[in-house]
Amino acid sequence: MTVGRSLIGFRLQLLRYINDSSGRKSSIYFPQTESFRLVNLPMKPQFTWMLVPLVALGVSGQPSYFRDVRPILQKQCQGCHNPAGASSDLDVTSFAAFAKGGKRGSAFAAGKPAESLTIRYLTGELKPQMPLGQPALAAGDIDRVRAWIAAGALDDSPAETSDERPPVYLQPPVISALRWSPDGARIAVSGNREIFVQGADGMGAQQRLGGKAERILSLAFSADGSKLIAGGGTPAQFGELQIWDTKSGKLLQSARLTNDTVFGASIAPDGSRVAVGCTDNTVHVFETASGKELYKIGNHENWVLGSVFGVDSRRFVTVSKDRAAKIIDAASGAFLENANILRTELNAVARHPKKDIIVIGGEDRYPYVYNMDRPKNMKIADDTTLIRKLDRQDGPIFALDWSSDAAWIAVGGIAPSVNIYNAETGKLSAKCEGHSAGIYGVSFSPDGKKLATGGFDGKVRIYDATNCQMLKSFVPAPISAGTPTGGAE
Amino acid sequence: MRPLLLLASAAALAAQPTVTFLRDVAPILNKTGCTSGPCHGAAKGKNGFKLSLRGYDPQFDYEALLYDLSGRRFNRADPGRSLMLAKPSQQVAHGGGLRFEKDSEYYKVIYNWIARGVPYGDPAKDAVAAVEVEPKEIAMARPGEAAQVKVIARYADGQTRDVTREATVESNVPDVAKVDLSAKVSGERTGEATMLVRYQGKFSTIPVTILNPKPGFVWKAAAQNNYIDMHIDAKLQRLRIQPAPLADDATFLRRVTLDLTGQLPTPDEVRAFLADTTPTRLKRSKMIDKLIARPAYTDYWTIKWGDLLQSSRKYLGEKGTFAFREWIRESIAANKPYDKMVRELLTSRGSSYEDPAANFFRVTREPKPTMEKTTQVFLGVRMVCAQCHDHPFERWTQNQYYQMAAFFSAVGLRPGYEVGEEIVYDQRADYDMKHPKDSRVVPPQFLVASAAPVPIPNDDRRRDALATWLASKQNPFFAKAIANRVWSYFFGKGIIDPVDDIRASNPPVNPALLDALTKDLTDHNFDLQHLMRTIVNSRTYQAAITTNEWNETDGDNFSHAIPRRMGAEALMDGVASAAGARPNFPEVPEETTATQLPDPHVGKDGFLDLFGRPSRESACECERRADLSLPQALNLVNGRTISDAVADSKGRVAKLILAGKNDAAIVEELYLAALSRLPNKAEAERGQKYLSGGTRAVRSQDLLWALLNSKGFLYIY
Repeated sequence: MTVGRSLIGFRLQLLRYINDSSGRKSSIYFPQTESFRLVNLPMKPQFTWMLVPLVALGVSGQPSYFRDVRPILQKQCQGCHNPAGASSDLDVTSFAAFAKGGKRGSAFAAGKPAESLTIRYLTGELKPQMPLGQPALAAGDIDRVRAWIAAGALDDSPAETSDERPPVYLQPPVISALRWSPDGARIAVSGNREIFVQGADGMGAQQRLGGKAERILSLAFSADGSKLIAGGGTPAQFGELQIWDTKSGKLLQSARLTNDTVFGASIAPDGSRVAVGCTDNTVHVFETASGKELYKIGNHENWVLGSVFGVDSRRFVTVSKDRAAKIIDAASGAFLENANILRTELNAVARHPKKDIIVIGGEDRYPYVYNMDRPKNMKIADDTTLIRKLDRQDGPIFALDWSSDAAWIAVGGIAPSVNIYNAETGKLSAKCEGHSAGIYGVSFSPDGKKLATGGFDGKVRIYDATNCQMLKSFVPAPISAGTPTGGAE
Repeated sequence: MRPLLLLASAAALAAQPTVTFLRDVAPILNKTGCTSGPCHGAAKGKNGFKLSLRGYDPQFDYEALLYDLSGRRFNRADPGRSLMLAKPSQQVAHGGGLRFEKDSEYYKVIYNWIARGVPYGDPAKDAVAAVEVEPKEIAMARPGEAAQVKVIARYADGQTRDVTREATVESNVPDVAKVDLSAKVSGERTGEATMLVRYQGKFSTIPVTILNPKPGFVWKAAAQNNYIDMHIDAKLQRLRIQPAPLADDATFLRRVTLDLTGQLPTPDEVRAFLADTTPTRLKRSKMIDKLIARPAYTDYWTIKWGDLLQSSRKYLGEKGTFAFREWIRESIAANKPYDKMVRELLTSRGSSYEDPAANFFRVTREPKPTMEKTTQVFLGVRMVCAQCHDHPFERWTQNQYYQMAAFFSAVGLRPGYEVGEEIVYDQRADYDMKHPKDSRVVPPQFLVASAAPVPIPNDDRRRDALATWLASKQNPFFAKAIANRVWSYFFGKGIIDPVDDIRASNPPVNPALLDALTKDLTDHNFDLQHLMRTIVNSRTYQAAITTNEWNETDGDNFSHAIPRRMGAEALMDGVASAAGARPNFPEVPEETTATQLPDPHVGKDGFLDLFGRPSRESACECERRADLSLPQALNLVNGRTISDAVADSKGRVAKLILAGKNDAAIVEELYLAALSRLPNKAEAERGQKYLSGGTRAVRSQDLLWALLNSKGFLYIY
């Protein structure tokens, strides 16, 4: 039966009647619904700034970018407006970038606060009001920005102060990289804002190579030992590649790149090029002699943490948290192919001294030995170039080295011991103990007889590579007497 | 300089020379939100930095902070340059914003910790052993009052510290009592709430009661039918709530018939019940016994258990579903003791056709989901969070998840000889449960120790030990969970609610009542009919929905009945019985009611699913929806289910007209059929006027249509 229009009208009328007047209070038929409360929106701050003389703002003297505005930008804005992920292409982490503005235009117009985008977004005149998703800035803070723009929006930041004094160590810094020199006489070890070049006998630092980068994460000597390559930087601020003259201790070249530290710097065996991995998923390649950047590549999808050149310097391999070990043509920067099957985030790579065979390792704790060359065409999920998978380590792998006599592979990482494997058989040869925590750098002496290690506890340890007997251990940093300042900076 | 320590006793200060990760730093990471779900506690971390969710794994967090990327996040040589200080204080850009200021105490604590060599601390000394709260409970005479909570951490070495500032205090009902960041509780309105206090993986709760300040409350004792009313009244009296009186006989009959059998009483049953002059309590009690003895009772509870055990041909095949359903039906018809029924499920093995209980394992198939289902359905405990991390609001750890799952690790399934048959068996080799972190073998272990220890064999028959432990009177969860669940079927909510999420932070609204029900159930050897009979005989169950000035805001303490929308099957059967027309379901015999359907496959995507019939995809009670939606309203008004039923040529209206009934009789009959009560005078007159205003048959259909669309029909009240 079809229900016509008038009929449904009658029916609904009846229904209303039954619901409303059946002798009971109608409300009792309905469940007690949850009481929805109106959300109290925060009161918009009242902008009465025009009535307030500037002196009443508690701003003494001239408005200052460095003193008044910068702290507000730092606390409230730079979480989103920073170079790593600049929302609206606006970066407020430096005056220059702030002045440059973003994709909506200049951030401010000197002398004209009412026309300045920053003010208009902070007050909510333009939507969405900033800071996005947060309570509006206190009126006093907006007034400070406004007053500064009104006064001409001048940059009064002091010049970057550079502390030339060598760092004073109350505690040994973590060793994040170390490398034996090709002549076997010295070991380069990372410090805080510097590199120690230490006699291999451990008797004091011969050189302290001081720089701007707080952390040195990779060290590599040119084959002739004349140059030392250091990659690092200051976390979340900048990356730096340094090229040192080892004889004079002079910084030959320095390149700042990206907004974070750089990883896994390596130099080609012929000395021509240097490759370095970055947190923006790129790999930058430099000409060693000039320090000029040749090209950068962006095949990776995550941080690139390690690199190594092939024997003939014509290719290099980069490893990344994206799990890939990529083979790159060194001349052109062209991607050739993946050396591995993607399994786990990769942290480290090292190469056989005379062949294009690499060992890679990372989060799944297994070192994998791969041939860089493929006997036949690649197929999907082809793993025929995997030569060997070594033992599972007790923690993620962070450091790998292959001795120059090709006999040994050293594996270090989060576990507090370094395992030395026979590179021919893949059998564990010896276990180097004595560390209190993780190991971030391992390096064989050029004759392959000794292994140097360094890591969390800040000590360099030198072992007999054949049996892991500890020959020496020393703290490369000069430790001053004194107690930590206890928090008061 | 170190206020955290200054707050501790002088002795504690002297004995504690250093700042450790466990005692000092980890709480800051939790309090400032670093370890929260949207931030670094996310499964994949944030921006390359991952911490454990809400800091449940301090060892992991310590390593992440210090070891990742060669110690990227701290600088021992120059602590102030550490990334873990520069980021949260926004010295360098931090996507998570400002977490603490450079001159804050938190900053200084972390600075000191780095400057002193980042000691982890000794779990035997520095781990929090217990969280103590002051006051233990909060009672407010009226809304608008406030109370300060103090949180004391007691460490494994016996020392204590005031951690009020770092602890997280949350209210489970913020519109009754809310709490601010300084742990000050303020009463918002009359009622009860519970403050959940968390600190470093340890928990405590504070019950908060806010009384009605209205003057003039005088407790008027009402008759108590059994111990349920005694416990309810004790609570109501304390809260100054006056319970509602008994519902009238017609309302009671409709309510109890729907709740026990999922069917409406017929007009004749209503008439007979109203005419019966037996004293009310006895009359109702006799009716309850009659209803429990009806086949419809068995049908209705077969649906409930079919839902919970996920009896569906999607998992079991057609024959398997019928076999499993038959097993459930027989268990209910025979009133099989609940513990026996559960033991049969958990120890079932062999052919799914010969031992239909074995279908229990065919739904979830794998050890982990089987364990999750077992704990959720039979213990009311949700373990699923603990698969990946320690439960954030409970004491269940990831280890326990795998220990419990290990009981089922040997259960295997293989095809049988007949089509669709499967054999449940216990594997003889390689069935160990492995921990995902390090692949170590996890031996089975019970969730909590039982008062009567049960030995666990370390062989493939370990699940038998689980069944013994689980379905035992001594198990602290088992009887309580079912008592609470059964209660919820008669009141629309559990004493603990949701019923399958029992945890310290979700306390019962009336613990004494739940304990009494639990004890009654175990004293009667898990006789569920006894439990139901006790519940529906109580005055509390039989209370009216009408409210008085003292109980009108109460929705938690069962001081009056709360209307519940009829379940999908009851609604459909109700329409059919009121209209005297049976729906036609495909693939089943003609007279089958919605309550008798074998599984959700029949009538899929129709009226039943629209009204919230569960698809049996999960063992969660929440899968059955009791919501109200626009599509439902449109279906009732315009859909075929009701319009076809009222116009059925063999239906009630047609029969009344053909029998030559007068208008008064038709109106009365239709009210009885749809609303299970007689129309009052005004309704009767108005109804008759309407019928006489046009074609009687059509007008009678209109009236029935309107009654079926009314709230008085759609709700159980």
